[in-house]
Amino acid sequence: MNLHRLLTSAFFVTWLAASLRLAGPVLLAALGETFAERSGVLNVGIEGTILLGALASFLTDYVTGSVWLSLFAAMFTGIVFNLLLAWMYVTVRASQVVVGLVFNVLAIGVAATVYRRALGESSGPQSVAMFAPLHVPGLSDLPLLGPVLFGQTSLLYLTLVLVGLAHFVLFHTSFGLALRAAGENPSAADAAGISVGRMRYIGVLIGGATAGMAGAYLVLAQIGLFRESIVSGQGFIALGIVIFGRWSPWKAALAALVFGACDALQLSLQLGGGNVPPQLLASLPYVVTILAISGLFGGRAVQPAALMVPYAKE
Amino acid sequence: MKLIERRVSPADSPLAVTTAMVGAAVVAMLITSLLFTLYKANPLQAYFALFHEPFASWRGFGYTLVRTAPLTLIALGTIVSWRSGFGYLGFEGCFVIGAAATSWLALNTAFSSWAFLPLALLLSFAAGAAWAGMVALIRARFGGNEVLISLMMNYVAILIVQYLVSGPMRAPGGVPETALLPRATWLPFILPGTRAHAGILLALLATLLVWVLLRKSRVGYELIVSGLSPSAARFGGINVGARLVFAAFCAGGLGAWAGLVEVLGEQHRLMDGISGGVGFTGIIVALLAKLNPLAVIPAAVLYGGMTVGANAMQRRAGIPSSITFILQSLIVLMVLASDIFRRYRVKLT
Amino acid sequence: MPAFEMRKIVKRFPGVVANRDVDITIEAGEIHALLGENGAGKSTLMQILYGFHSMDSGSILIDGKPVEIASPRDAIALGIGMVHQEFMLVPRFSVVENTVLGLQGKLDLREAARRLRTLSEQHHLAVDPDAQVQHLPIGVQQRVEILKLLYRDARLLILDEPTAVLTTHEKDQLFTVLRGLRSEGHSIVIVTHKLQEIVDLADRVTVMRDGQVVATVSTRETTEQELARLMVGREVNLRAVKVPVERGKAILRVEGLHVRDEVGQEKVRGVTLDVHAGEIVGIAGVDGNGQSQLAEAIMHLRPADKGRIFLHDREVTRLTVAQHRAFGLAYVPADRRHVGAVTEMSIADNAILGSQGKHTKGPFLNTRKIREHAEKLITRFGVRATSIATKAGKLSGGNLQKLILGREILEDAAAMVVEQPTRGLDVGAIESIWAELLAQRERGKAILLISAELEELMNLADRIAVMFEGRIVGILNAASVTTEKLGLMISGLSEES
Repeated sequence: MNLHRLLTSAFFVTWLAASLRLAGPVLLAALGETFAERSGVLNVGIEGTILLGALASFLTDYVTGSVWLSLFAAMFTGIVFNLLLAWMYVTVRASQVVVGLVFNVLAIGVAATVYRRALGESSGPQSVAMFAPLHVPGLSDLPLLGPVLFGQTSLLYLTLVLVGLAHFVLFHTSFGLALRAAGENPSAADAAGISVGRMRYIGVLIGGATAGMAGAYLVLAQIGLFRESIVSGQGFIALGIVIFGRWSPWKAALAALVFGACDALQLSLQLGGGNVPPQLLASLPYVVTILAISGLFGGRAVQPAALMVPYAKE
Repeated sequence: MKLIERRVSPADSPLAVTTAMVGAAVVAMLITSLLFTLYKANPLQAYFALFHEPFASWRGFGYTLVRTAPLTLIALGTIVSWRSGFGYLGFEGCFVIGAAATSWLALNTAFSSWAFLPLALLLSFAAGAAWAGMVALIRARFGGNEVLISLMMNYVAILIVQYLVSGPMRAPGGVPETALLPRATWLPFILPGTRAHAGILLALLATLLVWVLLRKSRVGYELIVSGLSPSAARFGGINVGARLVFAAFCAGGLGAWAGLVEVLGEQHRLMDGISGGVGFTGIIVALLAKLNPLAVIPAAVLYGGMTVGANAMQRRAGIPSSITFILQSLIVLMVLASDIFRRYRVKLT
Repeated sequence: MPAFEMRKIVKRFPGVVANRDVDITIEAGEIHALLGENGAGKSTLMQILYGFHSMDSGSILIDGKPVEIASPRDAIALGIGMVHQEFMLVPRFSVVENTVLGLQGKLDLREAARRLRTLSEQHHLAVDPDAQVQHLPIGVQQRVEILKLLYRDARLLILDEPTAVLTTHEKDQLFTVLRGLRSEGHSIVIVTHKLQEIVDLADRVTVMRDGQVVATVSTRETTEQELARLMVGREVNLRAVKVPVERGKAILRVEGLHVRDEVGQEKVRGVTLDVHAGEIVGIAGVDGNGQSQLAEAIMHLRPADKGRIFLHDREVTRLTVAQHRAFGLAYVPADRRHVGAVTEMSIADNAILGSQGKHTKGPFLNTRKIREHAEKLITRFGVRATSIATKAGKLSGGNLQKLILGREILEDAAAMVVEQPTRGLDVGAIESIWAELLAQRERGKAILLISAELEELMNLADRIAVMFEGRIVGILNAASVTTEKLGLMISGLSEES
């Protein structure tokens, strides 16, 4: 079949639109985590934060029916829980990987306990109001670009705006310069009068906010309900995207798109029937992430020099 | 006049450390009891149910020992790998891979019980070692971050096992699990009147082996130096890369044995979700034991007991068992946080 | 009234009183030297003035008014700037990014670059604002550090050991800049232990010893000998007794060695030399001219690109570290705390680092043999520690170095590479380390001694090779060489084939 037919075939268009849509949560989480890692903190706990954000958005949506309020609740939840994490990373100076890992277990416990209390053991999954795909008259009906670029939810558009905002703040403001210095050479930042601790707190909290939003995205713009297994590795994949995106917001967006494409591909292959077992297809996104961060494509040398190194003043 | 002054160096006498740990546990329990109120339960009643059942009766203690064995093995795997400088987190994956290998051997071969067990131990260890070894190879060859890669591999392993129990290894009928394993492959019970099985003996043996390895052997010395200072290790003629792979093999093998113990001792079949999160709880036990092999068994007994007691707590006080996750993780977080209090002293004059 | 004054400063650290009732005044338009040995408390004092450390008691006055300096931000606001011994630059940032780091307001790199160029011309501190700092040579990085201070209108410039990493030529350039700043009314403090420079450059000098001020004198009214005496507290005559030893065969030989560093830059460019039994060959040169890479390559901690290494006439270029040790090569690295020892392990554990294979019974460690070895080590080499179970990290610098050197000596290797053995140590430790090295020379060992201290080389070495930018620019007989000649060669301004 010729290229034009391929590019406008239903399969391709659906796939591309789905790629963008599925990239949303991991991109959101990766954006904030980029700030955290640029300031010198590796926050493994974003996996748990996404779960808690998802729950918060679900509960708020269940009660109020307002998607925007739910989004805000998720963001707030992410910030509050990451305050604890930031305290342990920056003030207590405990091992970052350990704290993040243990926090994820805590989050699973909290989410399960609160969800079951809120809804009772007996009732099944409840669906809630979602972000509706936008319809831009004229533009949404274009053959290829229409559904892909102009038929997405406002949450996805917000995410894309955040990419640009993140890039600007990180590379074109004195705050961004100070934050990056805290992650490259904290002594130099300190000598320049910058509070390394404060930069790292802010970095982690930004990460928490977007991770919470990522959880809201899963519930409000992807699945439409909450279940305890709604988060299965998206946080870790976001960490991989930060690496693959070389700690730069717009490169992370590209990396997230690649991931989204793999996810969309395996989903449509599953639906399309065929002989490949669904579980093995489902492992594709994880395998791709592993390859991306294996170092096969370089990358270790570019990470913030003081990443994971706690800083203490005498 | 300041009430709280910063110490010149953190208090590290055994008394200070113990006080800090106990204090941390108490704080964790206090915070968790706040959640109990969500369920309108009496915290004292709930804690009583949580700790009484697993330790007060033989039967309960038997259940506790059943939980202790896999936790111990995974905690030991964590200790060997982390102290060697290999931040491996893929124990969930090693667990299910070991369980799968063991189940396959049990269902597809026919050995007498005394021939089967050594083979199963060997096969599962090899499978787990290979699984973890892949990550070590990626790190050694390409410099990839083993923390993230091992986390990703967990999902791949779980999906592989999901596929196996829904397809090639599925028992007739619709449920995604294998057939019951032959009676000859089951681990013997060791405490009459309880379900405690020989897996705990394997855990004890493994504890001894790991202690001897790290404290008394030359390879252990080289592992520890590699973990503390790779540059000093290379200076001392140690092949850090080889030691890393060795540590990975041990970690993967021990993690796989945890799966073996669960399959042959308790579940007697392979199914989806067989791990119950023990791949992570085991790491938490290792952290509580401060990466000291001799402290693992007591910590594992405590946490294993909590898991058992959680079911009792759910029955008696109506609090969901998921609250144990909260308590178990909070204790470790508070212990880590208690470090900061050892840096200060209270001045009363 | 003095421009800057510190009164009765007290500062304690775990186990030591770094500053004890210290008084110091600094005038405007003055270059004031702060002299003392390592550990005398001079760096700490300046860190307090810059807000990096908090003092336990005392006061700071500027133009007669008391001020609070709780952090570098306060210090910068008060017109105090500091260039640390280890530069406080972010390697991946450009010069201009490093300059504006920490300043509030809009980020306008172009405007900043323009202002930077003006300052740079005004003070003869040539620098390219857009260059990435990590690619700049050390001398230029120092210019960036100074420009940072001037960009913030610093009145007082503190320079901590500024000439430690400079060649003679770069040092002269720096002195010219400093004199220019002085004539503009800036106050300058240089923290140093180099007596010659103080006499050349400073107006007044404050001498510190063991955390206290011993004297404050004008440099016109004193001599180097008197300053040395004030600094150390006794007549200093650091001379080693070197016995004539007959030189044997060449034990260690290096031919045409080329070595790269981590980023791919060639650091060793065709080095050829040999070390005979019973001699100490010194390698002189400012840190960063390839000496570390040479030492690491000889020990195979770093692969050689080209060239060959011979031990006892046998080629060892491609062998592993363990094999080098087995064939009779020992190494005392420059980094005591991260390469030469594992600070979190006990003295006993460190005593077998590198030789752990020899202290085994089958696959197990022979704990009794290890204990005996460790005790022999600390007794023989005078390592002051309560027990062999003490963590190595708790030892003082001198004791740690004795442990490391002793361990390598007990290996009884035919050849030894020793790198910066007395850096940061006090006089007593220096003397005992020198004595050990000379004793090994008398026993017929071949020793390659890499050092940035000319005095050390002149005292210990039989022949001195000078390394400049990865090449040996001359090998001289120690008995007949002068410090001036060495100084010129180290700066690349003279060659001797």
